[in-house]
Amino acid sequence: MPSQPLRVAVVCSSNQNRSMEAHNILSKRGFDVRSFGTGTHVKLPGPAPDKPNVYDFKTTYEQMYSDLVRKDKELYTQNGILHMLERNKRIKPRPERFQSCKEQFDLVITCEERVYDQVVEDLNSREQETFQPVHVINVDIQDNHEEATLGAFLICELCQCIQHTDDMENEIDELLQEFEDKSSRPFLHTVCFY
Amino acid sequence: MASGSGERQHASVASQFFTGAEDAAIDMTTSEKVVDLLNQAALMSTDDKLTALKQVQELIINKDPSLLDNFLDEMIAFQTDKSIEVRKFVIGFIEEACKRDNELLLKLIANLNMLLKDESVNVVKKAILTLTQLYKVALQWLVRSKSVSEMQEACWDMVTHMKEEVLALLDSDNDGVRTHAIKFTESLIITLSPRTPDSDIPKKQEGDISLDRLPKDHSYIRYDVLSEEGKSALEKLLKFMVHPAISSINLTTALGSLATLARQRPMFMSEVVQAYETLHANLPPTLAKSQVSSVRKNLKLHLVSVLRHPSSMDFHSQISTLLLDLGMAQGDIARCVPAAAQPRKRPRHEPYSEGKRIKIEPTLIEDDEDKEEPAPVVVPKPSSTTGTQSAIDLTAEFLLPLLTSENVANLVLISMVYLPEAMPASFQATYTPVESAGTDAQIKHLARLMATQMTAAGLGPGEESGSKDPIIIRKVSAVSLGQAISVVGAYKSPTAEETPQAKKLPEPIMPSTQPKAPGSSGRKKVFRLGDVVQPLSDSQLEKLTNMAVKRILQAEKAIARSGMSHVRVKLLARLMTQFEGAMKDDMLHFILEDMRARSDLAFSLLYQEYNQYLSQLPSGSLDSYEHCLFALLSGLQERPEQRDGLFTKLVLEAPLITESALEVIRRYCEDESRVYLGMTTLKELILKRPSRQFQYLHVLLDLSSHEKEKVRSTALTFIKRLYEKDHLREYIEKFALNYMQLLVHPNPPSLLFGVGDDTEVASPWTEETVRQCLYLYLSLLPLNHRLVHELAAVYTEAIADIKRSVLRVIEQPIRGMGMNSPDLLLLVENCPKGAETLVTRCLHILTDKVPPSPDLVERVRDLYHKRVPDVRFLIPVINGLEKKEVIQALPKLIKLNPIVVKEVFNRLLGTQHSKDVLVFWCFKGNGSLLVHLLCSTNLCFGEKNVYTSEVLAVVMQQLMDQNSLPMLFMRTVIQSLTMYPRLGGFVMNILTRLIPKQVWKYPKVWEGFVKCCQRTKPQSYSVLLQLPPAQLASVFERCPEMREPLLQHVRSFTPHQQAHIPSSIIAILEATNRMQEPQPQPESDHAEAVEEREVKP
Repeated sequence: MPSQPLRVAVVCSSNQNRSMEAHNILSKRGFDVRSFGTGTHVKLPGPAPDKPNVYDFKTTYEQMYSDLVRKDKELYTQNGILHMLERNKRIKPRPERFQSCKEQFDLVITCEERVYDQVVEDLNSREQETFQPVHVINVDIQDNHEEATLGAFLICELCQCIQHTDDMENEIDELLQEFEDKSSRPFLHTVCFY
Repeated sequence: MASGSGERQHASVASQFFTGAEDAAIDMTTSEKVVDLLNQAALMSTDDKLTALKQVQELIINKDPSLLDNFLDEMIAFQTDKSIEVRKFVIGFIEEACKRDNELLLKLIANLNMLLKDESVNVVKKAILTLTQLYKVALQWLVRSKSVSEMQEACWDMVTHMKEEVLALLDSDNDGVRTHAIKFTESLIITLSPRTPDSDIPKKQEGDISLDRLPKDHSYIRYDVLSEEGKSALEKLLKFMVHPAISSINLTTALGSLATLARQRPMFMSEVVQAYETLHANLPPTLAKSQVSSVRKNLKLHLVSVLRHPSSMDFHSQISTLLLDLGMAQGDIARCVPAAAQPRKRPRHEPYSEGKRIKIEPTLIEDDEDKEEPAPVVVPKPSSTTGTQSAIDLTAEFLLPLLTSENVANLVLISMVYLPEAMPASFQATYTPVESAGTDAQIKHLARLMATQMTAAGLGPGEESGSKDPIIIRKVSAVSLGQAISVVGAYKSPTAEETPQAKKLPEPIMPSTQPKAPGSSGRKKVFRLGDVVQPLSDSQLEKLTNMAVKRILQAEKAIARSGMSHVRVKLLARLMTQFEGAMKDDMLHFILEDMRARSDLAFSLLYQEYNQYLSQLPSGSLDSYEHCLFALLSGLQERPEQRDGLFTKLVLEAPLITESALEVIRRYCEDESRVYLGMTTLKELILKRPSRQFQYLHVLLDLSSHEKEKVRSTALTFIKRLYEKDHLREYIEKFALNYMQLLVHPNPPSLLFGVGDDTEVASPWTEETVRQCLYLYLSLLPLNHRLVHELAAVYTEAIADIKRSVLRVIEQPIRGMGMNSPDLLLLVENCPKGAETLVTRCLHILTDKVPPSPDLVERVRDLYHKRVPDVRFLIPVINGLEKKEVIQALPKLIKLNPIVVKEVFNRLLGTQHSKDVLVFWCFKGNGSLLVHLLCSTNLCFGEKNVYTSEVLAVVMQQLMDQNSLPMLFMRTVIQSLTMYPRLGGFVMNILTRLIPKQVWKYPKVWEGFVKCCQRTKPQSYSVLLQLPPAQLASVFERCPEMREPLLQHVRSFTPHQQAHIPSSIIAILEATNRMQEPQPQPESDHAEAVEEREVKP
């Protein structure tokens, strides 16, 4: 593994905040990274908790941005959504859904348990072909900007450590245990096969 | 098969079409392009090489498969590439190539076999993945072949052999390799088991071969053998899963594999469900908390996927129970059950679903029991799946009536003993309080759980009734013996052993540069440090050590900047004491380069050395420490510039001063430019290291007789200071006296010339050697006067040369003592025999500048009178003696040699005795003493500032007052007159006064009188005229030439004056010639004149 860059996927629910933050940092650190959401729709906070802005995965960040500017520029500037979208559109045009991606990864990092379950379920529901393993690790991150940033750094550190192992599969268990102790949060971890 | 060959057909048609339609040059181009890419790839870096090789692969497999055979060898040659990625690529290529053209298996399978034993686990993993695919391909290929060639047989044998090897990799040390081996096993089981109508078939694997597609009459492939192999593989997988130390990833993988098996081969449903049940009750204790959660999550997921399969109908109750335990809601479980199955299964499902809500107490017990057995042995029955099922059922039925409250309570109590100290993570995660304990359903569940455990352990009536597998019996006996048994890889597959190796196995394509022998890398890569490291040779070791230490040394500044200097210093000190020789010297040299800045290092090193020595007591040697200290000290000395205080600091802070270190200090003291520093340090040592102070003091004392003046005097200064310390005094004195005692030897002892210089016989005492013995003593003398007696004692015994030297050197100290010193007085008083000269010398020194004290005079006088009547004693104190004593002594004194006499005079002069002396001299002037007297008086007259004209006048007056005239009277008068001509008047008066004394009766004096008159004419004329005629005649007899001038003088008188001169005188004046008138009265005139002179001085 060390000679070959890890193929990493970062997955959250809407492919907006947590996964994009990590995508941003990881790509800056030279990882081969993609980001995804697992939800059926892309949801962004709306004027009230029960009135989110809902888009489908085909909508580009640009379109969402224009839409929100039109709706209430001040509100979405203030809560950082516009800023976030701006960042996102610099990274890629639109959110992607994990379940629709057929690319193979070495490592999938999810940002909450529900997403982890969805990812593992999806991977297990696929027909196995190559038996190429993929490790899925869940790092719980609250869905707000600050936690996203902190979480992204944690993910990045984790990826770097994994990247630097001589034999990832042999050492990942121990590595995760260390990270658990260090960050004092539990990581769910499993392996699936393509 | 059909589809495969069809594809090939199609491809070749396409290529034909392609070739025909376009140009032949394109084919050429493809071939050339491949050649070109391969050539480039050989020289490229890994990434580019991969890109090139991928292009080649695309070209020769997909674009133009006809080229595949041509370039196969070239591609395979890359399997020895040093890059892991390239080797992995080659494996991928083998897979693709074999899939494209099955015949290539014949050639390539051996290469894959080699790669399966690659040293890199990543390559091995890739090889396993490929074998997973190729196993099916190979089997299908063989089955398809109408007649199997020998080559094909060999190829299949090799595949079978590789399969066994991969199965054995379930025991690999590497987690990832095990994971891949599990997946291989899964695939193998699927292939080697029959597809049934209720099997889930993934679309892409529809064409895959499986056991049911094997012809039972195949010439080489044996259906029953493969069927057994499949079952054996499942058995291995199940065994692998219950290993107590299975890693969470392996467990996850195995769970997934089981789920796949259950869905694709529902015939194994029973084993799978049972394995899940066992696992759930026996989660490995090695899992961490989060891993437990992950595994449980997985288990749930797979259970649900199994539950959805229609064939799981019979096991819904067990699966539901498990899912409930895993925290899934009843409703959710129900939703997962296939709609068609629900109504049909309801009745059987019922009894268990009631108990679902209950979290059963026995789970707890089971868990505990599990913990207490380090290796729970769960041996699934490979031979009869139904047998296992019934065994558990039988045992459960057997247990059910036994689970009375009393028995259960006892079980719990017994189990309590085996509870672990801390709650295992797996238990903590699974435990939920038991809500309805004691209900029938719950007891039934408990019975079943216990039955699972017991069956797994090979116990219970169900087990006994089951088929007696020899392995199980062996296990049971082992368990009954209480032994922990490792389940994994316990036995070999018999097929591997019985495979006849008659046929030649396929040979791998060996590139000419092939360096590796197949099988050179072992199956298992167990890391042992000893395997990968080689002992360094001694010289290498030393070189590396040296370099390492040098680096630490050189890192001084960098480390100082980081504030970790103290660590470096400590490290160096520790390290250095471990090594000998050159490295130490290097380090010392390094320290000395900048001692000021590196003193902490120096001290640290020194203390470390000393510590080392202490730790090895009593056998330890000080050599290393001594060497270190010595090198530092002498290094400091060799440095040209003075290092302020560092030397002193080093000496004073060193834990121990060794002999050699002391020697360096001594050298310091002997170095004139550093003598002060050296001695200060030495002094500090003496004062601050009481335990060895005398040793240090000795060095200092030794230096007190050093040949270099500066060293000596500095040493003496320091010793004098130390002499004030009471506790050191005795030692110093003793040393000084011992040294002085050397003087009694006839020749200077070798000691004085340094050790080993044995020249005692040859060399005589010299001034220098004598002084050497006395320096210290003499500097102490003024501090302790009592010592003077020792000197006297030595003096008396010493030879003359030494005595002289002694007398020369004692001046300063004796003067320092002063004449009031009681000890000196005592010495004078006692004056040991033979020490007279010494005492005299002392007296002289004492009274040289100042008059003697009465005390001293008293002692000397005493000595002189009572013991040693040597007048020379009196000389120093002579001006302290009474006049009478002086007078008494004088006769003896003037007999001494003139120099002594002169000294005596010097002493007497300037005292109130001076006049007496001269008077005395003149008075005593007679007989044998005359010569001495003459000398003496000459001496007196030599002292003009003492014997002024006035003094002489008084002396003459006193002499006149004597009853009889001293013999030397006139001599004195004449000499006085010669010195002071203005005394003429006074002398005339004297002469006049001598006449009544009838001076002519003293022949000598008379002679002098005449001489005097002769010298003082014409003043003396009036005196002469007063002489009686007879005496006048006597005068003229002596000096006839006087007569005429005197006559002329008388004749020049006035007549009146002439009248006063008696005629007898005139007659004498004119006796021979014509006599002049008698002299009138010249006396009065003269008397006036004398008076006149007396008045004006």
